[in-house]
This record gives sequence, C-alpha cells and structure tokens, in this order.
Amino acid sequence: MNKQQGNFFSDTLVMTKRSIVTILRNPLIFIPNLAISMFFLFVYEAGLSGIANLPAFEGANYLAFILPVSIVSAAIGGAGGAGQALVKDLDNGFFSRLLLTPSSRLAIVLGPIIAGMLQLVIQAGLIICVGFFLGLEVAGGAWGVVVVLLLTLGWGLAFAGYSVGVALRAKNAQSAQAGTFIFFPLIFLSTTFVPYELIDAAWLKVAATINPVTYLFEAMRTVLIDGFTDTWPIVLGFIVIAVLCAITITFSAVSAKKAVSTD
Amino acid sequence: MNGAIHVENAVKTFKGDIKAVRGVSFDIAEGEFFAFLGPNGAGKSTTVQLLTTLLKPTSGKLEVAGYDVSKDPEKVRLSIGVALQETGIDPDLKGRELLEFQARLFGFTKKEAKKRADELLELVGLTEDADRLSGKYSGGMRRRLDLAMTLVHQPKILFLDEPTTGLDPANRKAIWREIKRLNKEEGTTIFLTTQYLEEADQLADRISIINKGQIVATGTPAELKRTLGLDAVVLQFDEEEDAVKAQQAVASPDYQTERVKNDITILTENGTSILADVIRKLDEQNLHPAQLNVKPPSLDDVFIQVTNEQKEGDSIE
Ligand SMILES: Nc1ncnc2c1ncn2[C@@H]1O[C@H](COP(=O)(O)OP(=O)(O)OP(=O)(O)O)[C@@H](O)[C@H]1O
Ligand SMILES: [Mg+2]
Repeated sequence: MNKQQGNFFSDTLVMTKRSIVTILRNPLIFIPNLAISMFFLFVYEAGLSGIANLPAFEGANYLAFILPVSIVSAAIGGAGGAGQALVKDLDNGFFSRLLLTPSSRLAIVLGPIIAGMLQLVIQAGLIICVGFFLGLEVAGGAWGVVVVLLLTLGWGLAFAGYSVGVALRAKNAQSAQAGTFIFFPLIFLSTTFVPYELIDAAWLKVAATINPVTYLFEAMRTVLIDGFTDTWPIVLGFIVIAVLCAITITFSAVSAKKAVSTD
Repeated sequence: MNGAIHVENAVKTFKGDIKAVRGVSFDIAEGEFFAFLGPNGAGKSTTVQLLTTLLKPTSGKLEVAGYDVSKDPEKVRLSIGVALQETGIDPDLKGRELLEFQARLFGFTKKEAKKRADELLELVGLTEDADRLSGKYSGGMRRRLDLAMTLVHQPKILFLDEPTTGLDPANRKAIWREIKRLNKEEGTTIFLTTQYLEEADQLADRISIINKGQIVATGTPAELKRTLGLDAVVLQFDEEEDAVKAQQAVASPDYQTERVKNDITILTENGTSILADVIRKLDEQNLHPAQLNVKPPSLDDVFIQVTNEQKEGDSIE
C-alpha cells in the first residue's frame, strides 16, 4: 500500500507552495496591500520630514528613520493575510482535510505563515526601492539592506504566526480581524515617529520600553542611519524577534491541535 | 489486530452539556461494510469525528486499525480515508492540483502523485474538468473530487459521512458502485453514515440505527427487518360497512388490526401463515375483500418503529 508519513520539510514546502498559489490567484487581496504600504511611506515622508531638523536627529535623514515604520506596518496586510487565509480554510472545510493528513500540525500552520512572511519581505523590498527613489541613503550599504530584510523576515514570521494562531482560536473572519488590532498599540506605543529621547509622556516611554517592536525599529534604524559601528542594537533586535517568532509560532501550532478537538 | 474498529462506551459531551454521543459501543470486522443509520442530529458525524481523530472523546475507548485514537492519532490517520459531511476543498486550487497536493502529503513523490491524480480523476469522471478551479465545480462534482481526495493513499479503512447527500440519482448510483467495488474487490473496511434507509439496505453488511446519541438496534438488513419489522396484511373493501364487519370477524389476540376507512391492516410477525385463517373467517361472514396484499417490512418501518419506541421511552423517564 502506497502510504507513509511524509517528512516535515517536504510537507512544509508543499503547504507553503499551496498557500503562495492561493495568494497569487487572489491579486485583488495582495495588490492593495503592496500599494498601501508604499503610500504610507510617501505620506510620512511628506508630512513629517520637518521633524528631522530637530537637534535630537543629529542630522539624520528622516526617510531612513521612518522607513522601518512603513515596513513594520505593512505586516498588517501581508503577514496578517495568513490569518485570513486560515479562516477561509476553516470555513470551506479544507482545514479539517489538512488535519486528517499525517503531516505535522507545525507544517500545516507553517504553510500560510511562510507565505505571509514572503509577502511581507517582497513588500519591504518594494518599499526600500521607493525609498531610494525618494532619496534614501543607507549607512550600512548593501549589507544594511540585507539586514533590514532579514529583520523583516523575522517580523513577518512572528506576525503571521500570531495572526494564524488568532484565526484558529477565533474561527471566523471578524474575530480574526479584531485580533489584528493588537497591531495598533504595537506600532504606535513605540518610537514610531520620534526617537526615544523626544518622547514626552512617561507612560509612553514605559510602553515603548516593553514593546518588542521598539527593538525592531531600533535595529533597523541603526543599520540604516549609523551602519555597523554599534552592533548591539542590531543583535538585540534579532534576539527579540527570534523570541517573538518562537512564541507566536508555537501558539499557532498548539492552536491547530486544538482547533477542532476542543469544546 | 482484532477487527478494524472497536468502540467501547464512547461518550461525547459538547460545551453547554450537549450530549451528542451517549455511550455507544460497536465492533467492525476487517473488510466489513458497516452503516450508521440515523435522523438529523443523531450523533453520526460526531461519531465519525471521534473515530477519525478530529474530536477528543469525553470518555470511552475507541480503536481504529488497532490503534487507540487518543494515544496514536498519527498512526490512525495513516490507515484511514475520511470524507466528511462537508466537503474539504480549497476553491482556489484546480481538481488535479488538489489531488497531487493530497498525494504529496501522504508521501508520494511528484511523479507518483501525478500518476495517482490521473487515475483518480478518471475514476470519478473528472478528467475533463481537472484543470478548472474546483471553486467553479458543481456540488456533485465537488463531492466526487472530495471522494477522490479521500482515496488518494488507498486507505484500508474508509469513513464516509453521508457521501451521497445532495447527489442526483445517477451520481448516487455511481458512488454506490464505486464504494461497493472498494469493499468487495479491495477488501476496504467501510464505515458509512446515512439518513437514507435504502442506501444502508443496498450497501451495508451490517447496520446500527442511532438515535439521540445511542444505538437502538444493530443487525444485518435482513435481521433488522425480521426482528423488528412486522408483515402487514392489507385488506381493502369496496364498502366501509364491510370493512367494519371484517375487522370484528378477523380479530384475534395473536395480532393487531387497524382500520382506516375501507382498509384494514393486520400487523403480524409472519403474514403468510395467518392468511388462510383470515380468509376462512371472512368467508364465514360472507365478506369478500376487493384486494388483499401481504407486504414484507421495509427498513423504513423498522426505522420509524425504533425511533418511535425511543420517543415513548423518553417521555416515561
Ligand atoms: N461542535 C459542536 N458543538 C456543539 N454541539 C455540537 C457540535 N457538533 C455537533 N453538535 C450537536 O451534537 C448533536 C449531534 O450532531 P451530529 O452532527 O453528530 O448529528 P448527525 O447525526 O451527523 O446529524 P445530520 O444527519 O444532521 O448530519 C446535535 O445535537 C448537534 O447540535
Ligand atoms: Mg452529520
């Protein structure tokens, strides 16, 4: 008889490929996502670049400062779409079929998570291109761009993992959407528009300190503005993102196990 | 391994104290075709989900292919093919892609997966539509694709939850033929649920009737009819007046009689054996029925009888 357990890597590959195909077949969902993140870059740059003349910026280019915000916020559409894809699978019964295959539950959730992460990395690539077009200068050079993309990759996995986990708990589109609202405090209770030193409110300083996204912003800004002279913020950024990935992906795999088995 | 499926006192209580399955036990032998027959909400799908590792039982022991479903769910999943009541299809993939995808997850190489997909498309008659998006298929086509996906890895135990609901008669017959063939020629053990008595009667070696989460009768179709169903002797008269007289004439403590207008129905265990007696009694009164029929019980009668008995039992409680 023709059956055996597939292996984890080939299962993950097959699942990811399928998720990518379904994304590509729904261009009306992913094209607006691409457009909106570039739009934000334009708007932030046009509206806020005057802030860069403040002494705390030490002459840094505001575009390099705001670019990470544009990339991180792109996750809501790109990586967050992974959760929406999962709700769709739950609705049309395909998810049950996946659970009935011998694939590991981790491989099942990694498909949409990796596809969502790739979407975010492509978005980030486009945002950086638009940035160069607007006059972006990257102190870290080509390697600096690579580091920004690697951080984006980590952030994409973490956010997609979170959105898949929430979708599996919520089991419907509305609640899954509601779950992505965590994004707003994450992105705005941070050093989003001004550096840490310029934050006025004490509570916002506290929030920014415990918010993992702050470390992501700092790591990206370090390579973009100062290059590799001080590597600690970069390393810290990778550590924070790695921990975040481990937490959210575990959350999604555990939720997959429970998705159908509970109540 | 003793038998394909062994269930002992399975209970599933959902949140809010909804008792979907209230202690069912049964055994299915290897190669047997077993049907679960029951009305809406009887607990058929819940039982299927318990057996296929999609739900955790509240209590009880469930073994499939020799493995405990709670302890060895991975091994169970390798041995079974499952077509749930709701089809499980990604509408953004084409029929062929779905079959190849499924095959890859069961450890087929790319080449093997292609070959298997072609075979199955042929089998369920979807070769021509293989490269269309499955989301554009009709309901019947989707059911057939779903069945093909279930068969990808040639499972030795098949679970089919109402596989023919919503199919036209031609497609229903085609699916019957195929699952019969799998059972007879390939020795596949089949667990089928249905609301159609005819389906269970036609296909199954053995039937359990389930109602309100409990098995109320089990046996071969013939046994169920014999032990539970009664033959009906039906006498039709031209005049209601004659029918009234006839009912008095044939009355006997051995069986029940019922009259509806011109028709009298006698329910008895063996219709033909009382026939001579009934005709003699009528003759004595000079009554001549316009028509006289003996009907063997159908599974319908059995089904209605059993589910009614349970209703009565409930109201006494
Ligand atoms: N996930 C669930 N949560 C709560 N109650 C449920 C759940 N699934 C099923 N039930 C309840 O359990 C009972 C049995 O349902 P089940 O789906 O097993 O019936 P069925 O025999 O398959 O019916 P049908 O012929 O309509 O498919 C019903 O009362 C149903 O409402
Ligand atoms: Mg059902």
